[in-house]
Amino acid sequence: MTRLLRLALRLFPVPFRAQFGTEMAEQIEHDYAHARARGRLTAIGFVLATAWDLAHSAVAERWNPTWTCARPPLAEDTGMRSFAQEWMRDLRYALRFLRRTPSFTVVTVGTLGLAIGVNAAIFSVVDRVLLTPLPYAHPERIVHIAASAPGSGFPEEFGVSAEFLVQYRERSKLIEDISTSNSFTNTLRVGDRVERVRMSWPTSSLFSTLGVRPILGRLPVDADEDKAAVISYQLWQSWFGGDSSVIGRSASMGGGNRTIIGVMGPSFHFPDDATLLWISSTVRATGITPGRFNNPLVARMKPGVTTDQLARELTTLSKELPRRFGGSNNYAKLIEKHHAVVRTIEEQMLGSVARPLWVLLGAVIIVMFIACANVANLFIVRAEGRQRDLAVRRAIGAARSQLVRAQMAEAIVVAGLAGIVAVILARVSLPAFLRAAPQGIPRLGDVRLDGATVLYTLVAALVAAVACGLAPAIGASQPDLTRLRDGGRGATAQRTWARNALVVGQTALALVLLIGSGLLVRSFWALRHVNPGYTTENIFTFQIAPEGPNLRDGPSFARFDLEFMDRLRALPGVETVGLVENIPLNEGTATARFRSEDMGSDPDAGTVLNFTYSAGDYYKAMGIRLLRGRVFENSEQLSASGKVILSRTAANLLWPGQDPIGRRIRQAGDSSWATVVGVVDDVLQDDFRDKPQPLVYFPLVGPTPLSWAINSPAYVVKTRRAETIAPEIRALVKQMAPSAPMYRVFTMAGLARDSMLRLSFTMLTLGIAAGLALVLGAVGLYGILSYIVAQRTREIGVRMALGAEAGMVRRMVVVQGARVVALGVGIGVVVAVLATRALGSLLFGVKAIDATTFVGMSLSMLAIGLLASYVPARRASRVDPIESLRAEV
Amino acid sequence: MSALEYHVLLALASGPLHGYAVKDAIVHESSGALVPRAGSLYRVLARLLTAGLVREATPADAPAHPGLARRYYALTARGRAALGEEARRLMQTALVAEKRLGIARSRS
Repeated sequence: MTRLLRLALRLFPVPFRAQFGTEMAEQIEHDYAHARARGRLTAIGFVLATAWDLAHSAVAERWNPTWTCARPPLAEDTGMRSFAQEWMRDLRYALRFLRRTPSFTVVTVGTLGLAIGVNAAIFSVVDRVLLTPLPYAHPERIVHIAASAPGSGFPEEFGVSAEFLVQYRERSKLIEDISTSNSFTNTLRVGDRVERVRMSWPTSSLFSTLGVRPILGRLPVDADEDKAAVISYQLWQSWFGGDSSVIGRSASMGGGNRTIIGVMGPSFHFPDDATLLWISSTVRATGITPGRFNNPLVARMKPGVTTDQLARELTTLSKELPRRFGGSNNYAKLIEKHHAVVRTIEEQMLGSVARPLWVLLGAVIIVMFIACANVANLFIVRAEGRQRDLAVRRAIGAARSQLVRAQMAEAIVVAGLAGIVAVILARVSLPAFLRAAPQGIPRLGDVRLDGATVLYTLVAALVAAVACGLAPAIGASQPDLTRLRDGGRGATAQRTWARNALVVGQTALALVLLIGSGLLVRSFWALRHVNPGYTTENIFTFQIAPEGPNLRDGPSFARFDLEFMDRLRALPGVETVGLVENIPLNEGTATARFRSEDMGSDPDAGTVLNFTYSAGDYYKAMGIRLLRGRVFENSEQLSASGKVILSRTAANLLWPGQDPIGRRIRQAGDSSWATVVGVVDDVLQDDFRDKPQPLVYFPLVGPTPLSWAINSPAYVVKTRRAETIAPEIRALVKQMAPSAPMYRVFTMAGLARDSMLRLSFTMLTLGIAAGLALVLGAVGLYGILSYIVAQRTREIGVRMALGAEAGMVRRMVVVQGARVVALGVGIGVVVAVLATRALGSLLFGVKAIDATTFVGMSLSMLAIGLLASYVPARRASRVDPIESLRAEV
Repeated sequence: MSALEYHVLLALASGPLHGYAVKDAIVHESSGALVPRAGSLYRVLARLLTAGLVREATPADAPAHPGLARRYYALTARGRAALGEEARRLMQTALVAEKRLGIARSRS
């Protein structure tokens, strides 16, 4: 590495170098050793900084010398002088030459700049989101702990309950610290400002588990009970203007007054970027009702412990739970099947976004290769054109190194300019990219075009320069001296082979991207045509959380809701209004164990079903089909009615093949039965990729007024003005419930779009990359065939003079192109078979190796290849034999 | 006088040093704000030598240093005077700045 820097020393004028050269070299050596000892990145940074310093000092020294004391030059100096001077001269020539051929310069700089710029933008996202370590101490030792119990009817993976925390905290030998947290959207009120925000209730050990400190104030301790809160930097800035007197202030959070005791740093997010504050809570070893599975745990492992070891230990420890904490038979059965699920916090937080981002980075790197191949090709063509010139220079004694240098100088200038274009492009495109990106990618808000990205861009430009310049430079440095004799006709077979290899590579890589984006388009298409069980058109939805002295129990909230829905229905253009506790695509439903009256009296009998609450014309508004019976009447909503509606899957689970109307079910732990009055079609609650869940709909009032109170349902408004009705509804809310913030405001169409955003975003970006690759690939092929045709003008002229027909000549050229493209397609298909696996979970309704996509895309690639060959072929067939022969004489 | 020139003179004010020691002294005395790279440092040294503010020291008046034999640099009388003048100027401007900022603070 330092040898490179020593070479850079030669850029200085001879007298300066004679005086200071040795000392400077020593200092560089010394500093490099220091930087190297502090890590590879530091060393790279040092080399780049020093190279820059040497380059601009040397230029400055030549421009404006500081050292003029004449000294006898050293013997080796003539060689050194010529080396540095010749480099400068070559760079100057290169610049001049590139200025003289603006189209070549624009095409090469543009192609490379585009590819490097896209790379830089994607890299800065990958760097910040995936490569930057999480802002916790030793993040590799922090793990997420959940539970799984195959064959129990529980979801594949679920949160645990308090007794697990206590048991693990006291008995585990492999963890240092453990914590749990519960997150909700709840009301935050500071003075007059009221909003619903995401907040979390962690045990005070959360902060020590993660190994983080506040930037202001202190962290909660167990003695704070639930009276203290730590706020995020973002909340501190937006609600308190970054005022440090915030410590000790009181605010209403999540239904109680808490004292703000600390402010976290700007990069601290847990469990997601949306959570704005953390309210202290404690979990004691006594008074726990076991089996309230709800929350995952976060723990810090001792050094050297693996997640597998910990999972085994925790699984063993959990088997003691029923003996220690009691619980029902069901609970004991569940614990028998229980396995602890342990994964690193990094995998938990970044696992789902890692794949699309790596796919994208892979795609733009492929585009980069294709761009390099194209530019290399252009350089080769240029070098070919200069064969004669180079042969003359070689013949009169130019060293090979000089010829290589002259060629490399152009590539370096082009790559340097492309690097500048790339940084500008990345600056412009990054904000657009971030705006288009799906919500919920952790740390996306922190993405900046930073030093690491610029470094990456520089390295990419350097690699591009070497890749584009080296092959043609070396090729050109051994010119065929016979060229001087035969007047410079014809291309050597070897070089044609090199260029064909580039086209084969380009075609193969472009095809891989095409097939990848084809699979995503098919997945998107399939997902768009999934029937979720409801319509997403013309539906507006929102939530409010009204408060007031009259609103205390189920019936009082129900009265408010029915009156509010009447007012909504009276708004102009509103067709139907209903409400549901958990609106699909936005909120998940809760689960509980239910049993039917036909299941006998065994307390452990029953199935796990999801449940929610509905009222008004919810099913009609959402377009959910009523399959049997009827829906709730408004009169059944105001007092205990004991009625219930089932989804089709729930009905089939409880009474397979029978009519459920009039039969009764009961939730585990409840004393009263509920009668089924209707069966409605299934809905996809969380995601269009899911299978429908069995769902039970309750009315607004339970068996007793305090069984439940639906205090913040999602209202569903069917109207053609779904996109524009929000202000009118806001005004109505202000009138009916002045202190209630309106939140979770969506159109169903918007929710549907968001739910597919991860796929559509990847599809779009990969599609753009594939499009770029295709255009670059076609241009590359066209360029090469045009060049070959130009080279063979004389030969073609002779053929035509001897009677070859235009059609035959065309065919000859097209076949030549087709052979190269076909080979590229063949290789591309093989690579794609391996590469499309990376798309994995992004795909829906289509296999990674989908014959239709593979064949279709391969044929398109071939067609485009043939088209790119046809244009030069046509030109070849119009060669005038007389002209072509005369031209060479 | 540039900051780097000032710091080179400052480093040499305590006695002759060789190039690498000058660099270390600058990093240390500027608390890491200045990390002169080889090219910039030696251009400044060359300028100061040409201007006669710094001279090459004869090895006799330089302390013995283990390892590689090197050139030593020392302040000339003119260099010492220039350093003193620059230091006074910096002190005065710092006083003015302090005063102005002080006034500005009390106004707000």
